[in-house]
Amino acid sequence: MQRHKKVIQLAKKMVVLSKDSAGVITEERVKEILAGLRQVQPRHHLLLMRKYLNYLRRELSLQTAVVASPATLSSASLDAIAQHFSKVYDRPIQAVAAEDASLIAGVRVRVGDDSYDASVSGRLQRLAERVK
Amino acid sequence: MKALYLFFLLAFISPLALTAAGDSHVEAHQSVEALVGEEPAEDSILDTFRAIFKKFDVTWPTLIAQMVNFILVAFILYQFAVKPVMATLDERQQKIAEGLQYAEEMKDQLAATERERAAKIQEAALEAQRILGETRDQAKEMIEAKTQEAAAQAEAIIRKASEATELERQKMLSEVRQEVARLVVETSAKVLTRELSADEKSSYSDAAAKELASS
Repeated sequence: MQRHKKVIQLAKKMVVLSKDSAGVITEERVKEILAGLRQVQPRHHLLLMRKYLNYLRRELSLQTAVVASPATLSSASLDAIAQHFSKVYDRPIQAVAAEDASLIAGVRVRVGDDSYDASVSGRLQRLAERVK
Repeated sequence: MKALYLFFLLAFISPLALTAAGDSHVEAHQSVEALVGEEPAEDSILDTFRAIFKKFDVTWPTLIAQMVNFILVAFILYQFAVKPVMATLDERQQKIAEGLQYAEEMKDQLAATERERAAKIQEAALEAQRILGETRDQAKEMIEAKTQEAAAQAEAIIRKASEATELERQKMLSEVRQEVARLVVETSAKVLTRELSADEKSSYSDAAAKELASS
């Protein structure tokens, strides 16, 4: 148990080190950390790698706004969404487009566990729920 | 009782007197009648008695013997005949008196018992009347209470049935609304999916993204 605590603390520190000065996780930093791990070969490195991967995914999901849309969005729209949610969450967030035909039209943005819906299907669903 | 005794006494005296008088009794009787028929002298009453005694041939020893006999006979009769009879009669008289007294007491007791019985019957009748009245009142109250209870139960049943009906109606309405909403949404989605072109979808998505970014 004590061992796991130390591994978790180390994995969290590695995630912090993976961020640049702007607080964004960059590929270069991650590669450097992985190279250092190959050289050091710490104890329980497999467990440490798994924990680091999980925390890294969580951090990336928090720094990424997945914008789902049935059609291709313009880069201006993606930038506007990224700026808006960076202000809302007070951290740098990148917008990533994703295609979802079930939305009919409009967009649905997911940041971490939060979801923002501006799609036609979502509006129809809310309308149906209000009628109930 | 005394009369009976005198009767017995005379019945025993008569044979003794006849015996003492003997056969000269008839003659003496005639002489006495003759003498009595004459007018006696005033101071010769004793002589008259003497003459009578003489005529009847009454002598002192005979008289004394007869008296003694008479006394003995009277005593024996009194002791062995009259006294037991009198005792028996007294006892019977006492029994009769006691019987009469007992009958009188029984009569009084019967009258008292009759009065007591009448009083008890009257009391029982009053008690029965009171119990009957109370029972009637209780029955009336019970009937009223049961009637009210039945009315309340009927009202509750009607209210529950009405509530159940209303709930059922609301449930059906809700189900109808849900079904209608589902159909509307499904139809709208299909229509929009089929009718919107790719450019329209793209422009709508951009507009939605900008709206979301500006909110």
